[in-house]
Amino acid sequence: MSAQATALHRREKSASALVEICSVRLGPGLFGVPIRHIVEIIGSARPHPVPLAPGFVGGLLHYRGDVLTTVSLRRLLGLPRVDQPMDTLILESPAGCFGLLVDSVVEVLTLPAADHEPNPSTLDDNRKDLFAGAYKLKGSLLVMLDPQRLDPIRLGAARAA
Amino acid sequence: MDELTREFLIESQEGLDRMERCLTDLEERPEETSLLAEIFRSVHTIKGTTGFLGFKRLEKLAHAGENLLGLLREGRLCASASIITGLLQLLDGLRSILRTIEAEGHEGQGKDAELICRLEELQAPVLSAGAQPALVSTASASVSAPPPIAAPPPPAASTAAEEYEGASRPRAQANSAAESTLRVDVKLLNRMMNLVGELVLTRNQVLQATAADPKLTLLSRRLDMVTADLRESVMKARMQPVSHIFSKMPRIVRDLSQTLHRRVSLQLEGQDTELDKSLLEAIKDPLTHAVRNALDHGIEPPHVREAAGKDPEGTLRLRAAQEGSHVIVEVADDGAGISVDKIRSKAIERGLITAVRAAQLSERELLQLIFLPGFSTAAQITSVSGRGVGMDVVRTNVEKIGGKVEIDARVGKGTTLRLRIPLTLAIIPALIVRSVGQSFALPQGALSELVHVPPEQAAGVIEWIEDAPLYRLRGKLLPLVFLDRLLVPGAQPQLAARRDHFIAVLDADGRRFGLVVDGLADPEEIVVKPLSAVLKDIGLYSGATVLGNGDLALILDPGAIAMRAGVAMGGEAETARQTGGDVFGDSANAAEYLLVDAAGRQAAVPLADVLRIEQLPVSRIEYIGYRPVLNFEGQLLPVDDTGGVLAAVQGNPQARIVVVVCREGGRHVGIAVSHVLDVAAGSDLFDAGTQQRSSGVTLLANRVTGVVNLGAVAPLHEPQDTTGEWNQMAETVR
Repeated sequence: MSAQATALHRREKSASALVEICSVRLGPGLFGVPIRHIVEIIGSARPHPVPLAPGFVGGLLHYRGDVLTTVSLRRLLGLPRVDQPMDTLILESPAGCFGLLVDSVVEVLTLPAADHEPNPSTLDDNRKDLFAGAYKLKGSLLVMLDPQRLDPIRLGAARAA
Repeated sequence: MDELTREFLIESQEGLDRMERCLTDLEERPEETSLLAEIFRSVHTIKGTTGFLGFKRLEKLAHAGENLLGLLREGRLCASASIITGLLQLLDGLRSILRTIEAEGHEGQGKDAELICRLEELQAPVLSAGAQPALVSTASASVSAPPPIAAPPPPAASTAAEEYEGASRPRAQANSAAESTLRVDVKLLNRMMNLVGELVLTRNQVLQATAADPKLTLLSRRLDMVTADLRESVMKARMQPVSHIFSKMPRIVRDLSQTLHRRVSLQLEGQDTELDKSLLEAIKDPLTHAVRNALDHGIEPPHVREAAGKDPEGTLRLRAAQEGSHVIVEVADDGAGISVDKIRSKAIERGLITAVRAAQLSERELLQLIFLPGFSTAAQITSVSGRGVGMDVVRTNVEKIGGKVEIDARVGKGTTLRLRIPLTLAIIPALIVRSVGQSFALPQGALSELVHVPPEQAAGVIEWIEDAPLYRLRGKLLPLVFLDRLLVPGAQPQLAARRDHFIAVLDADGRRFGLVVDGLADPEEIVVKPLSAVLKDIGLYSGATVLGNGDLALILDPGAIAMRAGVAMGGEAETARQTGGDVFGDSANAAEYLLVDAAGRQAAVPLADVLRIEQLPVSRIEYIGYRPVLNFEGQLLPVDDTGGVLAAVQGNPQARIVVVVCREGGRHVGIAVSHVLDVAAGSDLFDAGTQQRSSGVTLLANRVTGVVNLGAVAPLHEPQDTTGEWNQMAETVR
């Protein structure tokens, strides 16, 4: 999967120099999700909790006739729980859509693909699995998230293994 | 695979299905030429089209079959059993090639020579008779072989066939059916069902939101109606008549009765009863299994039947009928039945239940043991089936789709297996319960009753063995599962003194237990939405749904909860209960009674006759002359007051009494009682010395109790005048 992702990035680099990225805030950090994986952004949702669900599951969300499982980025990254409505990104994955809960959606950035750098080798293995490199912004880094790696089914399987 | 081939496959399958039906009919009515014409047409159409599509192997086989069928159709051969067997083999041969084409895109390599040879042998009596047969085979070959120049499209081929046959009427019918029907992808139907479900939810929300605005009320009511109609139509589009499965049965019965040397007449009833396509698929295997069992172990060989004074030909009855929101499918045979003693000893031998427990079970409860996994009366296993082997699978399969299985058997009289299937899977009735501050949906299929535990009783009613909570339900211990403790491990299982609690008594996969929840909301028709694999793996939820108020709710899976909580199979899934009394005589005669208190005296009312229990102020009772009557839903109900309940509360208009509304023949009567005590199974009592069954009394909870004689309640008017009225009322009550 990572080979595929790298290939994807390389193609992006060669095809067009610019990439559209949705930036989201989570606690103190800034993260990015490639915009072409985002189906829709839903503001201030309160997902329905699921007792006994794995920790990363943020709950259920009713979305256009389907009941979607959401992944809480906070819990995934081990940040403390906050009691406030979250913004939800509806993301596409091969197994269907799922939601990604973040503190808030900031803006859509258009960045030169050349500014992308892969994960540093010193990064924690756990994080290496979730992050897909970073873009160098002025004065800060935008850590990229790979929607395919955030798929709850994949996370569930990784957790079981 | 190209469109043409796919079309061909579907059409051929349908043709072969028709052929199978006709063949089994033909065996009974060999002189009926229309059947032969239909069979011939199916094979002929396949042959014509295969030539065009280039399936040589299929063409050769179909050709051989066609020759034989041609002779039959012209009356030069008679459809003997061996010919029908040959034709059935031809059918299987054609089917297997079609399957190969469907799976692999080509015909594959197979040896059909033997079958073709056999089909030719069957023509032998005519062929050896003279020169004519040669003429026949060339005739059919020359007409039906694909024209060499321009290959006609499949419809043209069938037109040719029609001309050749000169039988245009059935074909014309088929054409008009083709014009008025349309093949639709099941996926599209599923999606439509989903969208309709979504519309139902939106409608529920609109109805709640617009309730206050009179201008919108009218509009939302229209929306409500249209939605309901649409839902019904889409559901109907997914329905198929059970004849789709039933029509496979004559063949199975025929083959099996030959293998097993039985004589069986198969009766099919209610073939047009319709059921959702996916459910129909789901009950196919259980039903086939049941039919196999009935032939193998139910219906005895002819000589045994004769010795027992029965018709040497056994009867196997398949019946389908709709009952409310369920479809009942019954498989009934008039065979040997099942010996309860054998079940008892086998179950003890296998360690499924203890001898002590077995002695406590009623005959009906013992019968249900055959649904336990691992139950098999090994002495009976044959190549076809073993009664009990796979019965657990039958039950699991049926319960998976929200259905229920019951079995009834009388030794020497026969066995009846009854499947209760919901009409649809996508929308199910559920009870909304509250726990850990959330709503959960509990499918009503598994729910047998609800027990309310008022705050003041909360501490007393739960009993404990070590840390296993139990509730005494009509004298029997019921294991309890606290939903909150299950969902939030570590929570203390205590009944908070100041709150109401509810025990939902559930039957799931043969496990009976009480689920303790904090609250109940209204029952709702819920639309089942699938859950992501991650959440399904938790193993407690079977899906999720959106409630009328827009909230989400998880759908609880009663079977999984029982398993998680370690509730053991009780082998007592049935609701028939015994209240500890000894069983006198044939306990199959035991009936359930409603135990009532009529001014201090206990009496029993047969539960099967009870329609309603109404609590009402005594002022509602009016009098015609001296006869007490009740205005019940616009109808006059004669009220029986043999117990003197009305007399006892006379002069106190505030007093409340209970009227048990009962069915008595074609009319309804009311019985005035002080209050209802319990439901209990009663057994017959026998007069000492004479061993005659005494009437009018029963043994309930070890007490001799009088049974109310409903027939003795005099009608209000002339019977002729009232019958219609009562019947009408029966409708409204239902």
